Amino acid sequence: MLAQAPHPASETLPLVRIVGLNKWFGALQVLKDIDLTVRAGSRMVVCGPSGSGKSTLIRCINGLEHFQKGTIQLEGTALGRNARNTATARRQTGMVFQGFNLFPHLTVLANCTLALRRVLMTPASEAEEIAMRHLTTVRIPEKAQAYPAQLSGGQQQRVAIARALCLNPRVMLFDEPTSALDPEMIKEVLDVMIALAGSGVTMVCVTHEMGFAREVADEIVFMDEGRIVEHASTEDFFSAAAHPRARLFLDTILSR
Amino acid sequence: MSMFEIWLGILQGLGITAQVTAYALVFAVPFALVLGVAQFLATGPTRFLVTAVIEFWRSSAVVVLLFVFYYVLPVMGITLSALTVSALVLGLNIGGYASQAVRAGLQSLPAGQREAGMALGLSRPTILLLIELPQALVAMSPTFVNNLIQLVKATSLVSLVTLTDMTFRAKEIAQTDYDPVAIYSALLLAFFVVCYPIALAGRWLEARVHPEKGTARGI
Repeated sequence: MLAQAPHPASETLPLVRIVGLNKWFGALQVLKDIDLTVRAGSRMVVCGPSGSGKSTLIRCINGLEHFQKGTIQLEGTALGRNARNTATARRQTGMVFQGFNLFPHLTVLANCTLALRRVLMTPASEAEEIAMRHLTTVRIPEKAQAYPAQLSGGQQQRVAIARALCLNPRVMLFDEPTSALDPEMIKEVLDVMIALAGSGVTMVCVTHEMGFAREVADEIVFMDEGRIVEHASTEDFFSAAAHPRARLFLDTILSR
Repeated sequence: MSMFEIWLGILQGLGITAQVTAYALVFAVPFALVLGVAQFLATGPTRFLVTAVIEFWRSSAVVVLLFVFYYVLPVMGITLSALTVSALVLGLNIGGYASQAVRAGLQSLPAGQREAGMALGLSRPTILLLIELPQALVAMSPTFVNNLIQLVKATSLVSLVTLTDMTFRAKEIAQTDYDPVAIYSALLLAFFVVCYPIALAGRWLEARVHPEKGTARGI
């Protein structure tokens, strides 16, 4: 009777729980009293003007940025000064950067298998199998033996998504994944992300692509000057954003 | 003696020149790698210490270092062969230069490379060994070739501590056969014959590493 169902607590436990997060770069406070919870299966878009702290926020979630005050828990494990917890957090989160950050001296396949081999100690053949599966997911399996420099920006970003997926992360973090791309390449990357969202992957995505947000996100976080000023369901955000700064942002970006 | 005979006489010293070069590399390569990486990673007092060691070897005159180590070490009870002292001094001097290329190569990589490695959960040593160093060393390889040419030329100094390299041979011949113009021209040619192929190899390497930049024109 005891082992019949998944543990009820783990179902309700949020994947990411941020409480009272504050961060300073020197004297400049870039995050102010952030409280945010990401539940499993959530597709969250974080938007806001440049310098509002949205990239810094998601970089805190996988320990790329240190923070001075508050707590971040990943599935109940606190991030912070503990290096072991940070390493675990990084394995559980997949990160996609604005600038792709593929390793230029490695093939596409080696980019994807590196962490499998070195972090999870997966045998080579199995690692390649996993990598090829995710390269197929991002629709670029034919480029497995190519080097990043031989790919377009859109292709590189899709490889970067596959690379992050290989570790089977609990949550995918996207830091303005289309901001460095030409307009015609944005679509191919967004299409992959839409397909990913459809497969149930938990996503936190910093982006200015409000069309994507409307189509894919189930909740929207709007940041301004280091604070979350609006956190609403996608429908509510687009129809009735309460904060004047969010309204102004929406008017500007939607009238483009 | 004809010019050609002089030249052949000088080339009898090529073996020692090659030996000193190779032996010096045994000191230079680990020194450059370890101290270059240490300077890149270290902070605070450690970095100061690392920089001090590098600057000692890089900023001292090689001839002076050679004499100091050749004559002072025996006084302190350490007796090394002339070959070992020469290799040590020349190697660590060139290694000091090369360490700066290692550090600069590592520093020139975009921060995103390290961050991508960290985001994948790779450890700092793994990121250094598999992501940063391979890129930095390839990017700096033309500089390392320069350092190698400098090393070969610097071996001419070992004639001062009794090793019969090409320069020593030239001086020997000059004593028996007073013809400095022919002898030292021949020595010049001998070094050119040794160093020019290395320069060509470096140019080939540079064209492969930085195809977009073009290479030195001409011969």
